[in-house]
Amino acid sequence: MARKTPVLKATGLKKAFGPVVIVDGFNLEVAAGEAVALTGRNGAGKSTVLRCLIGAERPDEGAVEVNGIKVSETDPRIRRDVATVIDDLDFFPDLSVVEHLDLLARAHGVADPDGAVDEVLEEVQLVPQSGQLPGTLSSGQRRRLALATAFVRPRTLLVLDEPEQRLDTEGVAWLAERLLAERQRGLAIVMASHEPALVDKVATRIVRLGDRGRVEAASE
Amino acid sequence: MSKKSRRLIRSGGQPAPAPAEPEVVPEAPARTFFFLPDSEPVAVEEAELHELMKLWRHGRATRTLGQVISDSYVTVFSVVLVGAMVISTVINAQQGMTGCNTAACDTGRLLVPTAVLFGSWGLGLGLSRLFGPVLASAAEGSWLMDAPISRHRLLRGRLVLPLLLGFFVPALLTGLVAALSGMDWLSVLAWALAAGSGALAQVALAASEQTHERTWLLRLLQGIWAALAVAILALVVSVAAAWLPASAIAGAGTLRGLVFAVAGIAGLVAVWFVVATLRRLELIRRARLVSGGSLVSGMQGAMFALDLGLIRDILVERRSIERGHVRPTRGHGLGLRALIWRDLQRVFRSPGALVPLALSLVVPYAVDALRMSQLNPLLSGLALVITLVPFLGGLRVLTRTGGMARSMPFKTTQLRTAAMAVPAGLAMLWGLAAAPAFIGISGSGADRTIVDGLIAAGITAVAGVLGAVRWVTAKKPDFSAPMMATASGALPPTLLFNLFAGLDMVALVTAPLILGAPPVWSAALAVLVFIVLRGTFNMDDLRSQQEEAQKEMAAAKQARTEKIKVPRPTR
Repeated sequence: MARKTPVLKATGLKKAFGPVVIVDGFNLEVAAGEAVALTGRNGAGKSTVLRCLIGAERPDEGAVEVNGIKVSETDPRIRRDVATVIDDLDFFPDLSVVEHLDLLARAHGVADPDGAVDEVLEEVQLVPQSGQLPGTLSSGQRRRLALATAFVRPRTLLVLDEPEQRLDTEGVAWLAERLLAERQRGLAIVMASHEPALVDKVATRIVRLGDRGRVEAASE
Repeated sequence: MSKKSRRLIRSGGQPAPAPAEPEVVPEAPARTFFFLPDSEPVAVEEAELHELMKLWRHGRATRTLGQVISDSYVTVFSVVLVGAMVISTVINAQQGMTGCNTAACDTGRLLVPTAVLFGSWGLGLGLSRLFGPVLASAAEGSWLMDAPISRHRLLRGRLVLPLLLGFFVPALLTGLVAALSGMDWLSVLAWALAAGSGALAQVALAASEQTHERTWLLRLLQGIWAALAVAILALVVSVAAAWLPASAIAGAGTLRGLVFAVAGIAGLVAVWFVVATLRRLELIRRARLVSGGSLVSGMQGAMFALDLGLIRDILVERRSIERGHVRPTRGHGLGLRALIWRDLQRVFRSPGALVPLALSLVVPYAVDALRMSQLNPLLSGLALVITLVPFLGGLRVLTRTGGMARSMPFKTTQLRTAAMAVPAGLAMLWGLAAAPAFIGISGSGADRTIVDGLIAAGITAVAGVLGAVRWVTAKKPDFSAPMMATASGALPPTLLFNLFAGLDMVALVTAPLILGAPPVWSAALAVLVFIVLRGTFNMDDLRSQQEEAQKEMAAAKQARTEKIKVPRPTR
């Protein structure tokens, strides 16, 4: 049976900061409807791998392609296809929660932005905070807003760096359900996580990173 | 010889007796949580805690006494030397200006120190409101505020510094301006006292209001003082441009009594508010005290890196936290139009930023009135840079980290251009309003034709936008990059270049106008600067392309070498 065309394909990634090699010889293919969880101890290179995958970090060696297009952070096709939740998401200090989501939905040309925003806002339980400015949100609420910015727009690949961070137990359960639904709808997901419940529920494949970002174990 | 060895010798070489069997201590029952000790906490003095902290620091000095004395000597010598030079210069200038008895000099003597006085009052009030004025560091907040001590004594000390600064800085500034305008020394003293006492009263009022957690009165007063300062500066311009007769405003000498009276009343008001504040110091919430302290430490950190953009970010974030909530508005359009529309909504949401933009129109008219029309594009462009920065908040977020830009399905150039649209529109309106000043409407007559004046105003507006964009998008200092050797030691290049961010673009674009070259040169330079600032040349992409090309060249070279290695058939 022919294997599905990968949404994400990374080959031979190597990244070093000065003399310290973080990742070396990392390969990954993720097809539509697949969810890959990167696990490993702190400093194993999970976040660096994710940053290389989305183009936020330029690998020293190797190549990354999304839907057959070489990844560049500034390429509008990559920006259109890849939704990310990593730590460098910055919010406009003078736009409220709902205005952030409205702006993103409209920027991506969502046909019914109001409906999409209302739906996501309710799902992330930020309706009471819809008029609040981001600076006044708690850290958990900011994380929910960051996740909402990824869900309110079209995407074919979702890249998440420890999305469970700062979420309460109920929030982690919701996130697991949501990501599972996204995967079943055909979205490709790559996430780094330390939360076994999330990984077990969502991931179709687990890649455990060891020393220098080498793959220690991979399980289907 | 170690203590252990000495003990062994004294004991006659006998080994130390074996340690006694440890007593069996009954284990405490397993509990999942613990109560505080039953005994009541003992009240301690704040001085005792300070003593304890001093004890911790004991023996951790990083400099010797000799180094401290040497540094102190150099500091005192420098202060005395520089101070003597400044005082000598001021006295010379004051003596030179005293001789001027024309109506214009009299007018300047009255108006300029008055404008500085009101300006320093407004500034003092604004800074007091921003920082507290009573504040505490995060360490004090978590260690001392939790201790059972009287906060009153601690905070009383914290009130002294703002009050001293509030008095001396405005007094010195206004006194200096008064002296340079040619007033006699008694009048200089009167103006300095009035400015210092007035500002002291404002700081004391701000402290008193801090205990009540109110700000409306401070905002009102700040607005009044700022408006008065600008109105007086406009008056100066009007007189200088001969729109008003100089004789209409004169008589600085006759005001001396009034200024002394203001100083006296302000001093009494200051005492009243200081007493009122001292009575309520205990009531200031810890969160309010510590937020001022954290703001100071954050700004100190940013100042060490000379990152002015970060300082502004801190202030903007703080303002947004104070505001907390807005009435959400629905966006319009799809794609890039949604971004531009949102920027427009921002202007309507915070119309306060339009006031400085409108007030900056004083600059081109003032420069024209002072017969410096050749420098008008540069000076007005710089004023425009400062007032346009608040309208580029969206661009700042899109450029300081990659996160938000990565969430939008556009090229970097498209994003930046869209984020510049609204400020550029505002700048064009500003240019139209400033055009008469570029044509020349002061007493000396027209400096340019109407068309040339309009072109100069337009180029100045464009230079202002580009300068503001450059300032907002300046990269923060990269301390991991190769350093530049300077007299002050190794410095990252961005640290130095960022100091001139904005100024450089305005100077570049307006240089042909100032040097008398055809305006088309300025327009061409503006286009070039725009192409660079909109991010057309992404350094990462260029580097990536270069590396790809190098790899291809290396591969081709290797292939050629392999060809050469093919053994030739032997004869």
